[in-house]
Amino acid sequence: MSTRRGIKTIIGSFFRKRGQMGAEASNATFFASVFFVAALAGFAISFILWWFPYHLFSDEVYNIVVVNSPESFTRFNEEMQAEFDEMSEDYGDRYDYFSNWENMIDFEYIYVGYGWTEFIYKDTDALYDFVTFGKWMRENDAYLTVVFPKDFDEQIRLRQEGKTDAKPQILTYYRTNSMEYSQMRDGFVEEYLDYYQSTIRENYGLKITSVDDCEIRDDPIPTVDSGYGIKAFTETMSRTFVPILLFVILLYASMSIGTNVIAGQKERGTFTGILLTPLPRYAIIIGYLGGVVLKTLIPAFFIATISALLVQQFSLGAFLAIYLYIFVLAVFISAVTILISVINDTVVSAQTAFLPVFLILVAVCVTCIQSVAEREDFYMYLPVHGQFYGIGDVLTGNINVPGLIVSSLATLLLSALITFVTVKLLHSERYTVSIDTVDAKEVRRYREGGKSSVLEMFNKATDNFSYFITELFYPLIVLSFYQFLAMIPVVVSYMRKPEYSSFIQDLQNVGSVTDIFNKTFEIFGIFFKDPLFLGMMTLGYILIIITYFIHAGRVWKIKGIKNKIGACGYPLTSGKHIAKNYGLGLIFGFLMMTATVMVMRLTGQLTFGGFNLSASGMGAFIFNLFMWFPQGASEELMFRGYMIPAFNKRYKVAVGVAVSSILFSAFHSLNPGFTPLASINLVLIAVLFALIYLLTGDIWMTSAMHTAWNLTQGNIYGLQVSGNLASNTVFKIIYDANADPSITGGAFGPEGGLATTIVTSVCMVIVITLLVIKSRKARK
Amino acid sequence: MIKVVDVHKSYTKENETIKGVSFEVREGQIFGLLGPNGAGKTTLMQMIATLMKPTSGQILIDGLSADKNLLDIHRKIGFLTNEIKLDPMSTPNNLFEFFAELYDIPADELRDRRDLSFARFGITPFADKRINELSTGMKQKISIAISLIHNPPVIIFDEPTNGLDILTSKQVTDYLKELKEQGHAIILSTHIFSVAEELCDEIAILVDGRIAAQGTVEQLVAQAQAENFEKAFFKIYVENHVE
Repeated sequence: MSTRRGIKTIIGSFFRKRGQMGAEASNATFFASVFFVAALAGFAISFILWWFPYHLFSDEVYNIVVVNSPESFTRFNEEMQAEFDEMSEDYGDRYDYFSNWENMIDFEYIYVGYGWTEFIYKDTDALYDFVTFGKWMRENDAYLTVVFPKDFDEQIRLRQEGKTDAKPQILTYYRTNSMEYSQMRDGFVEEYLDYYQSTIRENYGLKITSVDDCEIRDDPIPTVDSGYGIKAFTETMSRTFVPILLFVILLYASMSIGTNVIAGQKERGTFTGILLTPLPRYAIIIGYLGGVVLKTLIPAFFIATISALLVQQFSLGAFLAIYLYIFVLAVFISAVTILISVINDTVVSAQTAFLPVFLILVAVCVTCIQSVAEREDFYMYLPVHGQFYGIGDVLTGNINVPGLIVSSLATLLLSALITFVTVKLLHSERYTVSIDTVDAKEVRRYREGGKSSVLEMFNKATDNFSYFITELFYPLIVLSFYQFLAMIPVVVSYMRKPEYSSFIQDLQNVGSVTDIFNKTFEIFGIFFKDPLFLGMMTLGYILIIITYFIHAGRVWKIKGIKNKIGACGYPLTSGKHIAKNYGLGLIFGFLMMTATVMVMRLTGQLTFGGFNLSASGMGAFIFNLFMWFPQGASEELMFRGYMIPAFNKRYKVAVGVAVSSILFSAFHSLNPGFTPLASINLVLIAVLFALIYLLTGDIWMTSAMHTAWNLTQGNIYGLQVSGNLASNTVFKIIYDANADPSITGGAFGPEGGLATTIVTSVCMVIVITLLVIKSRKARK
Repeated sequence: MIKVVDVHKSYTKENETIKGVSFEVREGQIFGLLGPNGAGKTTLMQMIATLMKPTSGQILIDGLSADKNLLDIHRKIGFLTNEIKLDPMSTPNNLFEFFAELYDIPADELRDRRDLSFARFGITPFADKRINELSTGMKQKISIAISLIHNPPVIIFDEPTNGLDILTSKQVTDYLKELKEQGHAIILSTHIFSVAEELCDEIAILVDGRIAAQGTVEQLVAQAQAENFEKAFFKIYVENHVE
C-alpha cells in the first residue's frame, strides 16, 4: 500500500507547478505545444486563405477529350464556342489577379472553366481503354474523357424509330486526383450533355427527350488506384513524416524530462533524500518512469490525434491502436532515458550520453522509410520498427493486429529488462552516492588515477565531440524545424491542387534514399513557384534569426536584446555604419554575380534573350524578392555571425572559419545538380564571406552580399541558385548549345562552375590584401 | 539502538578510509563524532545511514542490518547532511507533503505534524515560498523538519549547525536536547567544540579512520591531561595522526 502511494506521489511531482520536475517537464511540453499550435495554425491558415487565388499559380485543367465524337456533338461544340469566348471575356484575364480581383475572388470550379474548356477529339475502337484515356487527358490537360459509341447518331435514330430498345452508352472517365473533377464531371453531364441532347432534338430532328435516353456511365479513371491524388500524398505523409515526427517528439520530450529526473536530482543533491525514504528502489524507478512516460505522451498524444484526424482515420480502433503504439514507444524511450539518467551524475552528461541513442533511433526511422512492398513482415513484430510501421499502417487505414500485439509485448518486455537493469544499478553505491565530500573527491581523483589518465583524455575527446555535434546540429535542427512549419500550409494547399497528380503518382515508386532526395527536390521546385511557400519561407527565415538571437543570449549569457543581436554579428550601434556596409554589400553582391555572368558571356557560354517579366508571375516574383533578404541574413547568422564566434570562444578563429565553411558547403550539397566543383566553390564563397566578416567585424555586409548574390542570380539573370530555379526573372539567359557545364555549373547554376571560382578567387585576393593592410595598420 | 561493530571501509584496495570502528549509541543519548576533515566522519555516517556498505564489519540499527531490512531501517533513521539539498523550485509545503507521502504518513496526521514542526522553527510564514528565495538558516531548518518528518528513533546529523548564525544555531541545539529527552538516539558530527561539549553524552575522536579516544568530555580531558576539551582534542589528534 505504501509503495503504491509513493509511486503515485513521485508521478504527481511531475505535474506540480512548483518543483523542479514540473518546471523542467513543462519546457518540453511547451516546445511540443508550440509545435502543435503552429501545425494547427498552419492548417487553419490554408482555410482562412480561401480567397487566395491559388488557381493563379497552378495549371488546373479544364479541357475535355471527346472520343468518337458524333458529328452532332462536334457541331454542337462549335456552336457553343462563341458562348465560351464570351464567358472568358466577361471573366477577364485569369492571370492578372490585381486588376481582375473582383472576379478572381469569387472563383469557382465549373465544368467549362470560365469558357476555358477546349475539346480534343480522338477516335478509337477500344471504348474501355482507360490507360490510353488517362494518357490523353494528361497530354492535353483534360479532366474528363467522354466516350461515344462509334455510331452514336445512328443508334439514336434507330431507337427513335423504334427499331431497338437499347440505349446508347456514353462513358465518362475523369481524373480523380482532385475532388473538383468529379463535381465538374457531374456538372458537365447534367448541364452540358443535357443541353446537347435537347438541342439535337430540335436542330437535327432527333427525338431524344432527356438525358435518360442515353445511358451515361461514370468511371473514375482507374489508371492508378490507391496511389492517386490526395490519397497517395497522405499515405506517404502517414508512412514517413508522421512516424518520424512522433519519434522525434517522444525522443526530445523524454530526453529533456528523463535526463533531468535522476541525473538532474543527483546534480542538485535532492536525490539522496528520496533514496533514504522507505520506498523500495524499484518503486522509485517506476515512479519516475511513470512520470516521464505521462509527460512525454502529452505532446505525442496531440500530434497523433491531429494526424489521425487529418488523414481521416475516424474509427475507434485506429485511435486505440495509434495510442497503444505511442504509449509503448514512450515506455521504451523513457526506460532508456531513465537508465542513462541513473548512470550519469549531471544533466549535461546524461544528455550527451542520450545523444547517440537519439541519433540511432532517428537513423532507424530513416531506414524504415521504404515502400511497403519491400518491407519484410517480421519487421512488424520488432520493437521500434514495429511501432514505426504500425503508426504508418494505422494512419493509412490498416491495423495489423498480430503485429500490434507482438511488437507491443516485445517492446514492453525489452523496457522491463532495461528497467530491471536500472533498478539493479540503483542498488550500487557507484550510482547513488554523489555526495561531494572531501573524502569522495579524493576517492574520485584516486579512482581516475591522476591528471593525464586515459579517462580524462576520453572525457576531453567526448567533450569536444559533443561541442561540435551541438554546434553543427543546431542550425540543422533550427532550419528543419522552421522549414517544416513553413511547409504545413503550403502542403495543405498543395493537396488541393490538381497539377501535381503525376508527381504524386510517382511517389509510389519511391524505393531508395536517392529517390527520396530527388522527389524532395522536385517538390521544392514546384513550391518555389508558389507565393504562399515563398511567403512562409520568409517568415521561417525571420523566425530562425530570432531563435538565434535568443539562443546566443542564452548560451553566451548575454542580457539585453541589443547586446544579443550585436553578439550575433549585427551590432546596432551606428546606423550610418549599417547603411554603408549593407548598401555596399548589395552593390558588391550584384557586381560579383554580374562579373560571373560576364565571364560566362565572354567565354561564349550564354547569350541574353531579352526581358522575361510577365504579369502572370509578378506575385511569385515579388514574394521571391522579399524572401532573399531574410534568407541571406539567416544563413549569414547561422554560418558566420553565430558559428565563428562560437568556435572562436573555444578554439581558434581558423577552426571556426574552416568548420563553418565546410558545413555551409555541406548544407547546400543536398540540392539538385550538386557537383564536386560546386562544393569547392561554396567553401570558397563561405571563406570569402568569413574573411569579410573578420575584416568588417560584423555580418551586415555579408548578409547584403548574400542577398544580392542570390537575388541577382535567381531573379535578375534567371539562373539556378544552388540548384533551385526561380519562376520569374528580369532577363532571359540562354545557354549556348555547346556550353561547358564545368564553366556554367550545369543544373546547379553558376555556383557549380569555374566562372564563380574565378570571380570568388579574385575577390578573395582583394579581401586578404585588405586584411593584411588592416593588421599592419593595427600593429603600427 | 545503534551498534557499530568493527567497521572497515575502503574505496580502493590500497587505502582504507575507515579502519575498524566500533561504538554503541543508546536511546536518549547524543553521541558526538569529532575529527578533522578527511578523518572519515562523513563516510561513517553515510554507512550508518545505509547510503554505503561497509567493506567488513556490521552496523545494526535497533538490531536490524541494512542487508536484510533496508527499508525498515529507513523508517527508523533520520539523516541530515549539507549534501542533501532541497529542490530549489519547490516550496516547504510541497516538499513536506511529498516526503510525508513517501514515508507513508497518514493524510490526517500529515497536516498536524507539518503545522507543529513549521511553527516550531518559524517556517510557517515561508511555507509557500520557493526554496531558492529563502535564507541558508531557513533552508537548514526546513531540512531538519523534513529529515525528521517520520519521527525516527535514530537521528544522524552531520554538522547541523554549520554555517548558521548564533540564534539559529541555538534553536537547533535546543531542539536536539529536546529530542534527546524524548528518547531518540542521536549521532552528531561537528567541528564546533562548544556544541560538542554542551550536547554530547559521549564523544568519539576520529583520526585517520580510527577512534583515537572515546568517552565523556570529562573523561577525554582527564585522559589527555589537558586544561580543557579543545586542548585535549589537539593533543589526542597529534598523538594519533600519522603523516
